[in-house]
Amino acid sequence: MSRILVAEDDPHILRLISMWLKRQGHDVLEARHGLAARDLLQAEPVDVLISDINMPGLDGLELIEAVVPAGLVRRGVVVLTNRWDHGEIRTRLAAWGVHVLPKPFSPSRLSELIESLTSSDVTEPQA
Amino acid sequence: MSLHESAAPDQYLLRELMDGLSLPGRASGLSLGIVGSATYPPLPPGECLRTCLDGDPGEVASRGCPFLAGAARNNIDLKHLRDGRCPKDYQVAAQHTILGGEPAVLITVEGKPETRGATGNLPARAPRGAAEAELLGHLDTAARLVQSVGLLLEENQGFANEVLQNYEQLNLIFDLTQQISQVTDVQAIERLLLQRVARLLVSECVYLLTSTYGSAGASPSQYGSAGASPSPNECRAYAAGGDTQGPKPVPPISPDEVKAAADFVRRTRQVHVRLVGDQHVIAGPLVRLDDKVDVMLAVRRASQGVFYSGDMMLIESVLAFGGQIISNTELHERLRRMSLEVTRAMVSAIDKKDHYTSGHSERVGFLTRLTAAELGISSAEQQNMGWSGLLHDVGKIGIPEEILCKPGKLTAEEFEVIKQHPRMGYEILKPIASMGVILDGILHHHEYPDGSGYPAGLAGEAIPLVARIIHVADTFDALTSTRSYRRAFGIEQALEIIREDQGTRIDAEVAEAFFQALAAYRRDAPDDFAARFARVNVAAGPRTGRPSEREVEHANP
Repeated sequence: MSRILVAEDDPHILRLISMWLKRQGHDVLEARHGLAARDLLQAEPVDVLISDINMPGLDGLELIEAVVPAGLVRRGVVVLTNRWDHGEIRTRLAAWGVHVLPKPFSPSRLSELIESLTSSDVTEPQA
Repeated sequence: MSLHESAAPDQYLLRELMDGLSLPGRASGLSLGIVGSATYPPLPPGECLRTCLDGDPGEVASRGCPFLAGAARNNIDLKHLRDGRCPKDYQVAAQHTILGGEPAVLITVEGKPETRGATGNLPARAPRGAAEAELLGHLDTAARLVQSVGLLLEENQGFANEVLQNYEQLNLIFDLTQQISQVTDVQAIERLLLQRVARLLVSECVYLLTSTYGSAGASPSQYGSAGASPSPNECRAYAAGGDTQGPKPVPPISPDEVKAAADFVRRTRQVHVRLVGDQHVIAGPLVRLDDKVDVMLAVRRASQGVFYSGDMMLIESVLAFGGQIISNTELHERLRRMSLEVTRAMVSAIDKKDHYTSGHSERVGFLTRLTAAELGISSAEQQNMGWSGLLHDVGKIGIPEEILCKPGKLTAEEFEVIKQHPRMGYEILKPIASMGVILDGILHHHEYPDGSGYPAGLAGEAIPLVARIIHVADTFDALTSTRSYRRAFGIEQALEIIREDQGTRIDAEVAEAFFQALAAYRRDAPDDFAARFARVNVAAGPRTGRPSEREVEHANP
């Protein structure tokens, strides 16, 4: 079981991802925007952060910039983003070793990613 | 843990309610559960349960647990609980009742009065008589609500699963669209479709049966003769002629069944599901160019489950989309071939008309492209320029043969007729050629930088680049060819003549690029170069000396 924070401004998608992950036995935290996510992370780090890019307040990129270098995400970050800004986002995120899934994302791919992030022996992939 | 996270939400809510109803006594309370429901069996009241579970597993009756004994007396199956013991001084009663419309058991646990006195915080008594009936009524209402909440939550979970599954499929379709747009050959598209359908439909195997499958001469027994087993999610197109490389997968269903499914799909043009033995088969039409119908057929093992209407919709939309793409690609290829053939026919018509120029068009096209590449022009534009070079003399079709092939000097009138060929070529191709650059090259390939050319008398940069390139290539090839009115110059001489005309009759910059390109070609592909220009040294032997003014002037009509 891993501790996962999902940051997503669409409440239905948020709920859906959250249910999906809980059913797989993860401990899931939900945040409707980047600021809430940052506050939750500052209170307690998580294993995996799943984040949208376009969010009000603090967007996904800013959120990652704020929490990843601070060591608040232990295993890895998965970004869900629209297809049309896929390439550009991927380039910007490459520096942090962030995984990118284009929307509509594949739930099975997301599970695989989380599995691979959390089962590896590497404790600090966000070097 | 909250309601919507509970695996059995109604039971969860029920227990919460029961706990609320229990007075704050340790081991007293009520428990309620649907009889015979494996999912939500009656549970003993909280504290009693804990007490019971402290005991050793074993026979219920001999443990002296009144709760479990009560349950046993009433034939209530409590196997899911660990056997154990309750303190002897508790009264346990279990009674049948109706709850939420279903038979249920109400269990009450009550401490004896003397124990009550000892602990001091046990309830005075469990509900009895009218009060109990009233309580049961409330519980019944609560149970109905709880059940409907449970149903809603289950439904919600079901919807969520469906949405997630749709996400999965949508994701695959998106990927397919993206990948297909980058593929230009039909077989690659077919392969991609097969792979994706196999993944989308979680099938063991997927086949594409070409429109000739099952027709005379294409024996269905060829099907899967090679003997390799099919691997999950990895499929190959199977054509009746056996046109795929590598071992073919063994068909999980018989050739007759394959044919029957394919025939049905061809006849109805609809997606079709059938059970063959214990395998599930889905087949759908892939409509290609000229209304030919291929059939895509996917097979699931019994354990992979039946194909639902969602699967049918999926294969239908993927095949409709795929068929469109394949048709367009095939059409595009057909048109491309056709235009190539038409062009070849035209070029050969020009070359037949003026047999001295045999191969001239092809060489000018080639040299034009070479020079364009040297100038750093994009490859699509190079191709268009090459076409223009190939067709630059198409207007000669309209020039009388006696003038075109006249040995010796042309009269001024005859020369005026010759000068019409760029315009004629332009007029001939205008209705066909959609590329401006092709027409530009044809119309202006006799313009000179100093403005003394024809037909428009354009000068310098006003002459389209393609025309300036063709002009150099054309001049070079004309000089190195034997014509009706003179013999050929050698390559070095031709280059020298062009060099002398740089800036006046020949665009200086383009000529430089031409020299570079030709030198590189000669150096890098000497055999190819020799073959292409073999005639220069062989046919008539190189001429020496500079051509007369008149010869250069229409060295390349």
